[in-house]
Amino acid sequence: MPPLDAAAPAVEVRGLVREFKGGIRAVDGLDLEVRGGEIYGFLGPNGAGKTTLVRILTTLLRPTSGSARVAGYDVVTDADRVRRSIGVALQEAAIDPLMTGRELLRMQGALHALRGSEAKRRASELLDRVGLTTAGDRRVGGYSGGMRRRLDLALALVHRPDVLFLDEPTTGLDPTSRAALWREVRSLNDEGTTVFLTTQYLEEAEQLADRVGIIAGGRLEAEGTPDVLKARVGEPMLIVTVDDPADADAAREALRELGRVEPCAPGGTPERVVVRTVRGKEAIPPAIRALDERGVAVASVEVESPTLDDVFAAVTGSRLEGAAEPESAAA
Amino acid sequence: MSLEPRVIAALGRRALSVQFRRAQLLMPTFVLPLMLLAVIASGTSSAQDLEGFPAVGSYLSFVLPGTIIQGALLAGLTSGIALASDIESGFFDRLLAAPVRRVSLVLGRLAGTLGLSVLQTAFFLLVALPFGARYPGGVAGLAGTVVLAAVTAVGIGGIAAAIALRTGSLSLMQSIFPFVFVLLFTAPAFFPRELLTPVLADLAVFNPLTYVVEASRGLLAGDAELGSPIAGLGASLGLAIATTALAVFALAERLRTT
Ligand SMILES: Nc1ncnc2c1ncn2[C@@H]1O[C@H](COP(=O)(O)OP(=O)(O)OP(=O)(O)O)[C@@H](O)[C@H]1O
Ligand SMILES: [Mg+2]
Repeated sequence: MPPLDAAAPAVEVRGLVREFKGGIRAVDGLDLEVRGGEIYGFLGPNGAGKTTLVRILTTLLRPTSGSARVAGYDVVTDADRVRRSIGVALQEAAIDPLMTGRELLRMQGALHALRGSEAKRRASELLDRVGLTTAGDRRVGGYSGGMRRRLDLALALVHRPDVLFLDEPTTGLDPTSRAALWREVRSLNDEGTTVFLTTQYLEEAEQLADRVGIIAGGRLEAEGTPDVLKARVGEPMLIVTVDDPADADAAREALRELGRVEPCAPGGTPERVVVRTVRGKEAIPPAIRALDERGVAVASVEVESPTLDDVFAAVTGSRLEGAAEPESAAA
Repeated sequence: MSLEPRVIAALGRRALSVQFRRAQLLMPTFVLPLMLLAVIASGTSSAQDLEGFPAVGSYLSFVLPGTIIQGALLAGLTSGIALASDIESGFFDRLLAAPVRRVSLVLGRLAGTLGLSVLQTAFFLLVALPFGARYPGGVAGLAGTVVLAAVTAVGIGGIAAAIALRTGSLSLMQSIFPFVFVLLFTAPAFFPRELLTPVLADLAVFNPLTYVVEASRGLLAGDAELGSPIAGLGASLGLAIATTALAVFALAERLRTT
């Protein structure tokens, strides 16, 4: 295999369209690039087109129009080279419940042209890596959801791929299993693997991804680092609740120098004072001091930062189901 | 065109071992033919007294080739069912995402069918022994029968795989089951050709299984009068090659249209 051109993106998608029978455009004119060594998070609600894109990039589905290159190779005309370069964990962990984890790994090794002894050694190594050594000789049908996902990841790693595709790797997992999988993905990335993962979870995108693409209705609605995306939506809000609504104006006066004070919303709660400030949580101590100097009694001071859900709402006009509560730092 | 023996062997081994872990596939392949054999051999052995019945040691020896070919049919059919189940579960996508020739995916599946049929035939031949079956054809006859059955199983497996690949539907595959028996009863599996009704006898000429059953009868009895091994091998090989090609074509078609 020729060495991967360092300058070539790991994934390069141009004007990609996939139409299904019945005229559904699951992917509707996508352009995106994933750089080598990056973790790219593809965030979108049910039916957004995430799986369709992953299936095109992993050569399982043909594009209707447009082009896609993975590891420098065209997914249609050079599918075999693409397959050699990628590891894939599909959304429905496609593992045969009647086989054991070790058998599956050895079979996967053979599919990637490993010799018998090599496949055997690699299977043990990977079972160990994902913490399935003791479960490795049990049938997969008896595995928990988290164990299946870990095995699925191990299967994707048999041939040490350059680019790893994970379609919703943690959907349905409990927080502990999720965190374990995140650790594994991070360490793979540290070893140099490029990771393309899809998720419905904002937290996952935020925790794991260097860059996030937001997809809805088959289109890329926004893209960038989580911080840049959040900054686009707005500055963090400092929210002060005063004891006595009569003090609200004095509080507004006191907080003026911290940022942009929002006018009292008609019909809003009169004891609530909101200041938009780039200083975020760091604005809390000076705010308390300033309020104290003016003798304003406060019930609470907190900071709300925009979340990826806010970004999502801003670009798509709807919220992600099951989105996390806004981050807040209370004092 | 280079083959990928390691890939084909790995897929064949997997197909075979899963077969033995799935009761609903084991029942029809190992148990059902034996049950039918028991019913036929005990209930209709007086058929042998009928005029036109060839001289074979016992009726059991006469119908055993029918049972063996029935097993081969069911082995082929169940591999189509297993393939459809792989497609439905998404397991087949794992194979498709691997850097292997698409032909190997079909050949690997059929390698499993071949292995299954060999085990099955050996099992039937062995089980029939204590019930009085005798094999005057000797080792060569036994080996020839095993080969014939295995090639036939691949031939039927090819059709089943082609249907599974075109439809991807497990329930459709299961509904094909009864047709296997149509194929079987339009061949002289349980009665000699001379005793079939005229319509069936006419049909039997066009049924490749006719030649396979008769050949295996000849091989086991060590009597080429009962059936030509060459005709049997020709019929089964022709079937296997044609239907394997059909399955490969069906896979290409499936990939082109998804
Ligand atoms: N094989 C198919 N035939 C017809 N329509 C399809 C097919 N696959 C997907 N679709 C449609 O394409 C759209 C995108 O589906 P896709 O599976 O890519 O979404 P997703 O973002 O992965 O959703 P989820 O989060 O539920 O996995 C949906 O409207 C879906 O119904
Ligand atoms: Mg999906």
